[in-house]
Amino acid sequence: MDIKKLLFVTKFEELGFDALQSLLSLRKASLNHVVFVNVIERDRVAMHRGAGYLKEEEIRLRETANIRFIDWAEDLFEMGMEVGVYIVVGSMVSEVIKAAKKEESDLIVIGRPHKGVLETLYSGSDVTELLRRAATPVLVYKQLSETTISIEKPFEKPLLAIDWSPASLRAVEYLKVLKDVINEIHIIHVVSQKELKGTSAMEIQSIRKKTRKKLDKICDIFEEIGVKADAHVYIGNAEQEIEKAAREHQASMIVLGSSGKTAWVERWLGSTPQSIAEDSIYPTLLIPFEKK
Amino acid sequence: MGKKVLVVDDDPDVRLFSVTVLEEHGYTPLEAANGEEGLKLIKERKPDLIILDVLMPRQSGIRLYRELKTDKALKNIKVIILSGIAKKTFLRSQKALTEFGGKEVPEPEIYLEKPVEPDELAETIKKFLG
Repeated sequence: MDIKKLLFVTKFEELGFDALQSLLSLRKASLNHVVFVNVIERDRVAMHRGAGYLKEEEIRLRETANIRFIDWAEDLFEMGMEVGVYIVVGSMVSEVIKAAKKEESDLIVIGRPHKGVLETLYSGSDVTELLRRAATPVLVYKQLSETTISIEKPFEKPLLAIDWSPASLRAVEYLKVLKDVINEIHIIHVVSQKELKGTSAMEIQSIRKKTRKKLDKICDIFEEIGVKADAHVYIGNAEQEIEKAAREHQASMIVLGSSGKTAWVERWLGSTPQSIAEDSIYPTLLIPFEKK
Repeated sequence: MGKKVLVVDDDPDVRLFSVTVLEEHGYTPLEAANGEEGLKLIKERKPDLIILDVLMPRQSGIRLYRELKTDKALKNIKVIILSGIAKKTFLRSQKALTEFGGKEVPEPEIYLEKPVEPDELAETIKKFLG
């Protein structure tokens, strides 16, 4: 599970070259190939009333993207890296999935989605849709302008939130590969209030002890490969507690296994990974469960 | 049948442009949309000349050029680089790859920066193939 090839998906306004540069520490974890993807949404060029297909607009948008990518690619080529590019007209998620498959990429990086509440409710967000369909881990990057924290090296101090699902255990495997990039890792589990309802102080302490023991075992995995790891148990609402933990431990990123819920369930009931990816101020790395 | 010239470029408009120039001057064009496809065609069809883009999906022209020039059977095929990427970058990239433990490769015979006029391309091809 190496990270050799990264798919950098950008519309330019939400994700720039500074974001990519902050990810280049992944070269220590064998990253040597970056593929730029720019998707021109079909409705920007297709079938406008009275104008038909706006071919000239498509060419203008393509060339604008191309000029930026050439500039970025020159920097990467000069470092001895391999660079590729896709500038395509279509639907964002489908084109990203297609490119990820063609390129057999190990990580997809996208910016935070900018859809409104209603739009997200009815059509879903690109992140949710990507997670549902991609077998590749997705990093939802947050720009410096959007957040109060400084993210110079997002992989330096990740916070891994574990819910013991297959996806979150896969996240452990994924992060192990990054041992040369990670300085220290904080591993947390959030126990919900529901799990504690009606239990005595003794039982609550026992739940904490049991959870902590399980987390310590995960920490041992990281310590064995030379990464400092600390375990923490939180109690309450998962989204709020994960965000709180990231703040308390000055994390550079939040890592979660994606829930594997269906798109319908995620759209109407929500999911922790989706909410954190969209609302947290921290870059969020979502590891999907293994799709066959 | 004219001499075979392989055009490796992911942009279909650029391929069409080069193919039209080649056909007008009596050469036999072959086409590939990325470095991987290009290498496959080079091995199968042994072209006399390659017109190679740099920034492409799957495999860039920088890697394909390196594979060509380090392959005994293919290294004598002439290459024209036709790209939006600056020549300086191409050379620095090859230098970096050599420093990472790769073999040293010669500079490309001709480096043209996009866009190029049809006459300029035709003249350049003529220089190599007559």
